Amino acid sequence: MSHPATRLALRPEEAVLPEGHPLRRLPVFGVVAALLGLAGSAALGMANPAQFFFSWLVAFLFFLSLAIGALYFVLIHYAVQAAWGVVLRRVAETIAATLPVLALLFVPLVFGMGALFPWSRPEAHADHLLHWKAPFLNTPFFLARAAIYFVAWSAIALLWFRGSRAQDATGDVAISLRLRRFSGPALLVLAITQTFASIDWIMSLTPKWYSTAFGVYYFSGAMVSFFALLAMAAVVLRNGPLKDVISVEHLHDVGKLVFAFVCFWAYIAFCQYFLIWYGNLPEETGWYHVRLTGSWKTLSMALAIGHFVIPFLLLMGRTVKRRGAGLLLGAGWVLLMHLLDIYWLVMPSLHEAGARPGLLDAAAFLAVGGVFTAAVGWLLVRQPLVPLRDPRLAESLALENA
Amino acid sequence: MTPNPGHEAILDNPADRRPPLILKEPTFRAITDAVAEPLERPTPIGWWLCFVPSAMLMGLLGIAVSWLFWEGIGIWGLNVPVGWAWDITNFVFWVGIGHAGTLISAILFLLRQRWRTSINRAAEAMTIFAVMCALLFPGIHVGRVWVAYWMFPLPNQMGTWPNFRSPLLWDVFAVSVYGTVSAMFWYVGLVPDLATMRDRCKAKIGRLVYGVLALGWRGSNRHWQHYEVAYLLLAALATPLVLSVHSIVSMDFAVSQLPGWHTTIFPPYFVAGAIFSGFAMVVTLMVICRTAFRLENIITLRHFDYMAKIILLTGSMVGYAYSLEFFTAWYSGNPYEIFTFTNRAFGPYAWAYWIMVSCNVLSPQIFWFKKARTSIPLLFAVSIVVNIGMWFERFVIIVTSLHRGFLPSSWGYFRPTFWDISTFLGSIGLFFTMFCLFVRFVPMVAAAEVKGVLPQADPHFEPRPERAPAGAGAR
Amino acid sequence: MPLALLADDLPKGETYGLLAEFETTGELYRACEEVRDAGYTRWDSHTPFPVHGLDRAMGMRRSILPLIVLGMALGGGALGFGLQYWVHSIEYPLVISGKPFFTWPAFVPVTFELAVLFGALGAVFGMFALNRLPMHHHPLFNSERFESATNDRFFISIESWDPKFDAADTRRFLEGIGARHVELVPSR
Repeated sequence: MSHPATRLALRPEEAVLPEGHPLRRLPVFGVVAALLGLAGSAALGMANPAQFFFSWLVAFLFFLSLAIGALYFVLIHYAVQAAWGVVLRRVAETIAATLPVLALLFVPLVFGMGALFPWSRPEAHADHLLHWKAPFLNTPFFLARAAIYFVAWSAIALLWFRGSRAQDATGDVAISLRLRRFSGPALLVLAITQTFASIDWIMSLTPKWYSTAFGVYYFSGAMVSFFALLAMAAVVLRNGPLKDVISVEHLHDVGKLVFAFVCFWAYIAFCQYFLIWYGNLPEETGWYHVRLTGSWKTLSMALAIGHFVIPFLLLMGRTVKRRGAGLLLGAGWVLLMHLLDIYWLVMPSLHEAGARPGLLDAAAFLAVGGVFTAAVGWLLVRQPLVPLRDPRLAESLALENA
Repeated sequence: MTPNPGHEAILDNPADRRPPLILKEPTFRAITDAVAEPLERPTPIGWWLCFVPSAMLMGLLGIAVSWLFWEGIGIWGLNVPVGWAWDITNFVFWVGIGHAGTLISAILFLLRQRWRTSINRAAEAMTIFAVMCALLFPGIHVGRVWVAYWMFPLPNQMGTWPNFRSPLLWDVFAVSVYGTVSAMFWYVGLVPDLATMRDRCKAKIGRLVYGVLALGWRGSNRHWQHYEVAYLLLAALATPLVLSVHSIVSMDFAVSQLPGWHTTIFPPYFVAGAIFSGFAMVVTLMVICRTAFRLENIITLRHFDYMAKIILLTGSMVGYAYSLEFFTAWYSGNPYEIFTFTNRAFGPYAWAYWIMVSCNVLSPQIFWFKKARTSIPLLFAVSIVVNIGMWFERFVIIVTSLHRGFLPSSWGYFRPTFWDISTFLGSIGLFFTMFCLFVRFVPMVAAAEVKGVLPQADPHFEPRPERAPAGAGAR
Repeated sequence: MPLALLADDLPKGETYGLLAEFETTGELYRACEEVRDAGYTRWDSHTPFPVHGLDRAMGMRRSILPLIVLGMALGGGALGFGLQYWVHSIEYPLVISGKPFFTWPAFVPVTFELAVLFGALGAVFGMFALNRLPMHHHPLFNSERFESATNDRFFISIESWDPKFDAADTRRFLEGIGARHVELVPSR
C-alpha cells in the first residue's frame, strides 16, 4: 500500500548534517590521511619508484571506480525515471562530483608511464607487436585521451550535480525533464569513454593481451563497489540525520542492487576467464597464467570465493538486507573485495612471481583515499543530503517493497 | 468511462507523477470484458487470414523436415568450409527472440515496472513458441536424427555418456530448461485468468477445459500469498536463466579458436542482441494484436514508448560490441583477426554485413525521438527491420567467420538451397500458427495483473471527489 | 495452515460457512482487519488479483516457499555437478582438447541450468502443493455470486468449524463490517 506522502518537499534543516555529527569531520580526516599517505609515498617511493606508481594506480583505479559507478547510477536513475532512489541520489551525485579531483590524482601517473606501461618505453619500437599498436598506444595520444575522458566525465558529473542542486531552491520540474532528456546521450559518452579508459589504464599494462569484455568488466566492478558504498552511506545516514527519510525499504533496494551486481561481476569475470581458458590460445592465456601461479593463485581463489560466493550467500536473504548492521557488513566486505580485484588486475604486471603487498600500497591508498574522502566530505557538509524538492521525492519517501 | 486524454497527454512523461498506464480509467469488470471478448466472439475473418497461411507454412516445414530426415543434411547448402549456416543462424535467431518474453515477465517484474502487465502474457507466449522453433533446428541438424537421444545422459548399452564439456550439450540443457521454466512461468501466470474464463464461459466444453486447467483456483488470499512468492522466486530464477541461456548459446562460438568467434564479449553482447530482437518481435506482434482485439487502451502508446527505448538501448549495446570487436581485432595485431573483420566488411559477404549494420545500428537511432517512439507505423516498420538485421547478424557471425578460415585452399562461398529457405520459412509458419492459436483460445493480456495496477486496486485509494468511485458500480 | 497436505481439509456437516461480498479493495481490506481482530482463524478472503498488504490485514505468516526453492536449487546444482564429475572423472573419462578430466569451469553451465530447473520446479510444484491445488471441487463454487471473485468482486468466507462461528452472530458481524451481501454456503 502506498500511503500518500506526508510532505512533498523537505526543509533544508531536515537534510543537512547537524553540527557535531562525526561525518562533519570527514574532510579533516581525509586531509590528514592524505598528508600521511603523501609523506609515506614520497619517502618510500624514492627508493622504489616503480612500486610507487603501481600502488598509486591501484588506489586511483579503486576510487575512480566508485566515482564512475556513481555517475552511471545518477544518469541511469534519470534515464529510467526512477523514483525509489531519489533520497539517495544526492549522495551519488556527490561521489560522482569528485571526478575533477580524480583528474588531479591522475597526474602523478603521467610521470610514471615508463614504469607502468611497457609500450611507452623507448625500446618498445623494436618489438614488432608493440610497433603495430603504436598508432594507439603512444604517449601523446594516451594523454590526449585521458584529458578527453576527464573533461567528459567532469562535465557530465558537474552538470547533473549543479542541476540537481539548483532544483533544491526552485523545485523546477523543467530541470528534471532536461536532465532526463540528456541522460541517454550522456550514458553513451560515459560508456565509450569508460571502456577506453579501462583499456588504456589497465589492459595496456600488458599490451600484448586483449579482451573485448574488459570495459564491461571494469564497469561491473564500478557498479558493485559504488552500490556497496551507497549501502554503507545509507545505513550510516539512516542512523543519523536522515532517519526519517531513508527507510528500511531503501536499504533493501540498495542491498538488492549490491547482490545483483555481485552476480553480474561474477558472470563477466567468469565468462572472460572461461572463454580464454577454453580456447587455450597462448596470446590470451598468458595474462591468466601469471594470476594463477604462486601466491597469485591463492589470491585468485580468494577473489572468486570472497567476491562472489560469500556476498552471494550473505546478501541473498531478505532480512539481512533490511537490517543496517547486516547490510553494512555485507557491503563493507564487498568493497574490500573490490579493492582486491583492482589489486589483482594491476599488480601482477609488476610482481609476476607472487603478490608482494607493502607499505607503499598502504601509503598510496591513504594518499588517494584521503583526497577523495576530503573532497566528498567537503561537499557533503556544504549542501542538503537529499534533493529537497525533487518532483519524485514524495514517491521515494513512500517506497514500499513486497 | 472517461474520455481519452489528449494525444499530447498520452505521450507526456511528466517528471512529478506517474501517468496512468491503462487509459479511460476502466473498472475491473471492463478489463475482464476487454480481455475475454476476443475469445468469446466468433472467429473474425482476420484471424483466418493469419492462421491459414501460417498453417500452410507450417505444412511446408513438415515437408522440409521429412525430406531432410530422408535424404540427409546434403539437401541444405552446407559444405566445407561452411558447416553451419542457416540452421544455426535460425536457432540463435529464435532463441534470441524468446528472451524478451522472459525479460518482460521476470526482469521488469523485479524492477517494479508496472507497465509490463499489459504485454507480459503475450510476450511469454511468444517466448514459448520461439523456443519451440529454436529447439527444432539443433534437433534436426544432427544428421542421424534417430540417435538424437545420445545427447541425453541416459545409461546405455554402449557405456557412453554425452560430453558435458561441449557447448553444444550445454545448449541442450540450457534451451530445454529455458523452455520448461518459461512454460511453467507462463502457466502459473495464466491460472487466475483461466479461472476467470471458467467462471464466464457459457459453453459446457469451454467450462470443462478452462475449469480443468484452472486447477480449481478460487482467488483465495491464502493461495495468492504463496502464488506471489512463487512468482517472485520464478522471476528471480528466470533472470539469471535468461542471461545464462543466451550466454551459453554464444559459447557455441566463443569457446572455439576461430577469429570472429573467439572473443570474450560474446556472452553479454549476445544477451543484449537477444533482448533487442525479442522486443522488436513483441512490438510487431502487439501492433497487430492491439488493433485486432481492440485493446488500444490497455496496450497503449506509452507501452510502445518504453519498448522503443529498450530497443534503442539494446541496439546501442549491440553497436558498441560491433565497434569494440573491430577495434580489438586491429589492436590485437593478430593477422587472422584483422583479416576476418576486414573480410566481413569488404569481402564477398559485405552485402550481408552492411544490411546488418544499417538495420541494427542505424535504424533504431530514430527512437531517440519521442514522435518516432509513439508512431505505430514507424514502430512496426523498425521492428521488422531490426529482426531482419538480427537474423543477418547471426548469419554474418557464423558464415563470414567460417567461409574464409585459416587455410585459403578451403575457402568457399555458401549459398542457401530451396530447403534451407523453406525450413526457415516453415519455422516462421510454426511460430505464427502457435501464436494465432494462442490469441484465439487464451486470454492474451494478463487481466488479473492489469487489474492489480489500476489505481483502485490499492486498498488505500481515495477516488477523486468530482466523479464516482471508479471501483464501484457495475457496467 | 493445515499440516497434512493430502488430507481433506473442509468442514464436516451441512454448512460450509458464510460468504460476504464487498465492492472495493478498501472495503475488503478494512473488513479483513476486523475479522482478524475478532479472533476468527478458519477464514479466507477471495480477490480477482492479489491485494497489496492483505496478508498483513489477515494476520498471515510468511510463506515457507523460499526455503523449498533454495533446497531444490541446491539439490539440482549438486546433481548436475555430481553427474558431470562422475561421468568425466570416473565412468567415461576422455581426453578432450588436452585438458584434465576434472575441469570445473566447463561443468558450470550445466550445473547452473539444473539448479535453476530444480529451483523452478520447487517454486511451481511447491506453490501448488502448499495451496493444495488442483482442487476442482470446493463448496464455495456452490455459490453463484462467487463467480465474480475472479472478475471484480471481493469476498470473505468464514468456515463453519471456526470456534467462533455462529450462523446468526457471524452474519450480523459481517454485515456490520461493510459486506454488501452475505450468504450461507452449503457443503454440497
